[in-house]
Amino acid sequence: MAGQQPLPNTQAPIDVYGGDEISALVLDAGYCHTRAGFAGEDVPKSVLPSFYGSLRTSNTDSTTTTYRDIFGDECLYPRSDFEVKNYMSESESVVEDWDAATKLWEHMLIKRLQPDRETSPAKNGLNDAAADGEGDVAMEDVENQEKPLAESPLLMTEAPWNTGKAREKAIEIAMENWGCPAFWMSRTPVCAAFAAGKASALVIDVGGANTSVTAIHDGMVLKRSIQKSQVGGIWLSQQIRNMWDNNDPKVNVVPYFMIENKTAVDAGAPAQAKLRKFPFEVTPSYRAYEEERLLTEFKESVVEVWRGPGRYLNPGNEELVKSQPGRVFEMPDGANQMWREQRYRVSEGMWDENAALPNADGTKAQTIPEMIKACLSAVDVDLRPNLLGNVVVTGGTSLLNGFNDRLNNELMAMHPGMKIKLHAAGLTTERRFGAWIGGSILASLGTFHQMWISRKEYEENGAGIVEKRCK
Amino acid sequence: MSQSGANISQDCISAFNDLKLAKKYKYIIFKLSDDNREIVIEEASGDKDWENFREKLIKATSKTKSGAVCKGPRYAVYDFEYSLASGEGSRNKITFIAWSPDDAGVMPKMVYASSKEGLKRSLNGVALELQANDPDDIEYDTVLKIVSKGLAG
Repeated sequence: MAGQQPLPNTQAPIDVYGGDEISALVLDAGYCHTRAGFAGEDVPKSVLPSFYGSLRTSNTDSTTTTYRDIFGDECLYPRSDFEVKNYMSESESVVEDWDAATKLWEHMLIKRLQPDRETSPAKNGLNDAAADGEGDVAMEDVENQEKPLAESPLLMTEAPWNTGKAREKAIEIAMENWGCPAFWMSRTPVCAAFAAGKASALVIDVGGANTSVTAIHDGMVLKRSIQKSQVGGIWLSQQIRNMWDNNDPKVNVVPYFMIENKTAVDAGAPAQAKLRKFPFEVTPSYRAYEEERLLTEFKESVVEVWRGPGRYLNPGNEELVKSQPGRVFEMPDGANQMWREQRYRVSEGMWDENAALPNADGTKAQTIPEMIKACLSAVDVDLRPNLLGNVVVTGGTSLLNGFNDRLNNELMAMHPGMKIKLHAAGLTTERRFGAWIGGSILASLGTFHQMWISRKEYEENGAGIVEKRCK
Repeated sequence: MSQSGANISQDCISAFNDLKLAKKYKYIIFKLSDDNREIVIEEASGDKDWENFREKLIKATSKTKSGAVCKGPRYAVYDFEYSLASGEGSRNKITFIAWSPDDAGVMPKMVYASSKEGLKRSLNGVALELQANDPDDIEYDTVLKIVSKGLAG
């Protein structure tokens, strides 16, 4: 029977990682969230804030203090001596604190995604008594076993402006600390463009701390075209705070954790709520984190983008909006009011510099139309029509109501007569996790095993291999 | 660069040469094999009717992992012929089309986009490349305008 004969060489399986059932992991780090999961899945299994807690404990003799980092959103509740930090840089969206990054990633990739393993024989106590020299464990084997990701290739995404040093650091962690058999780095806009079925595209990624506009041609990032600006989610939060401060009555930002109980009040009336008392001082960083969560809720449910045509500040538009129904938002303390024109006004700074409310430091951020203009002018003239016909919109903040309509209107006004086509995934998850999903599919392909940087290659060439291979 | 690393079957290259040198075909449609490992020929044809060709791309399907059938991307080369408006005779341009309908699944879109460069590089003699994502992009007039750079009669 045919089945019992050995397969000829041409048909023999050549899979290194077992075809499409690779146990590869995909990690996509952003300023607001870090996403990790298994290659081939539709959504990341583990999505945690990139914010983490740092708990200060004084030793009994109170001469030294130690800090313990804790990860995961369920750990972020009020405690004493508890600071909330972030391992990413807010202005760059690249890793700033590598120690914390490694720990948070380990928490996600190993603790959350890997099955529990037995404690290694060196540490489980069974071998402790072997003082007579018998029954000891070959230390080399133990070391190999201790590498937690020895069977999982790892694909990481990175911002297109990530530095060579940071890339080398990432492969070192994957290879040395975790023992990954293979590694790859993909740039986020390339993943997003591929996931939209496009090898060439203008990728507009509206994220938490940054918004970027990048031209991709045949799967390559056009380096000179990369534009980034702070007009993302956090910046929008600042705009909302500014608006709340100047509102009449002024809106008090009291996050949920501070409320003991509340009584319903009429719109515009002062809040009647009893605040919780803590026997310790709540740190400003923890409070800021909680306030940000409240602001996110406001962005998701109230803020809208003026769809155009034209700018919101053009005469007549504000009057039109005022005559339309608004939205009520109730703060955690029960205070509530109707938001009408303000909910368009706060997001207008993304498009119109004159509409931006001043930031705390008085700087103004580059608007999205300006970024697009700068990006395209750094690109060969012949490529521009194709890019405008293939605009890919991704990133969580692009989910603001009306965002795509406005973007389309702005592009048409900037390039009259050109064919402009936006591609924005309809599913919320595909927009939020666009780059992760692209990486997930790529890493799950059986044929991709020949692309990975293998452990052997890494050992022969050192960390510099990542610059040579992942272009 | 992030590439899928899919294989290009030898048939693709020989059929392309038949189209280019022997003028045996008008167009070739390529697809990824069901296991996404290899790019193979779906159809090579001498049919000169653009509409039939267009129809075939629009009707192309892919299988999702769960076995459901949805719209699917394809690659194609088309030996595009047009006559010049200036009356200086006709021209041929071998055009590479990356067809990836927006309503196809994410998985096939990703696989096709990340495998394209490999195929294109093995086909020597492609004059230009089109990226098409909806049926409008492959209307005859639209393509004619791009291929001829507006010089067709």
